[in-house]
Amino acid sequence: MKTVTMGYNQVFVPQKHEFYVDMTCEGCSGAVTRVLNKLDVKFDIDLPNKKVFIESDKDADELLETLKKTGKTVNYIGPK
Amino acid sequence: MAQTTVNSVKVAVEGMTCGSCVQNIEQHIGELPGVFHIQVSLELKQAAVVFDSSMQSPESLAEAIEDMGFESSLPDFVTAE
Repeated sequence: MKTVTMGYNQVFVPQKHEFYVDMTCEGCSGAVTRVLNKLDVKFDIDLPNKKVFIESDKDADELLETLKKTGKTVNYIGPK
Repeated sequence: MAQTTVNSVKVAVEGMTCGSCVQNIEQHIGELPGVFHIQVSLELKQAAVVFDSSMQSPESLAEAIEDMGFESSLPDFVTAE
């Protein structure tokens, strides 16, 4: 659904965020997958590079808190 | 005066594949209030937890593990062994 006003775009575009998550094996990325599945967001996990990309309109802090639930070291790298 | 009731439970944990998963759960759950001791076994796919039953319950412990992204279940609910 789009809401566009004159000269000012109010469309909520899902922002893509990049996170560093210290994952060492498939079990780790599996845990991240399960936690993110509960949140209902689009995401992509790059295990070799220990990166997680999340596409969501939720703010980065909320996503960071969710990722931290796994107990792993998590850092927010920035929007992508 | 509150009485401490020590209880122990074995929670089945699915989804661990390596030592870091095990360590992670041990550290995280071990820090919860009311948890005295936790030992996680990768081979048996279970966590043995000794806890204060006035602060934690088998359900709350299983839920905490679940929140970390692992599938956990209590042995009472597991029908097939």
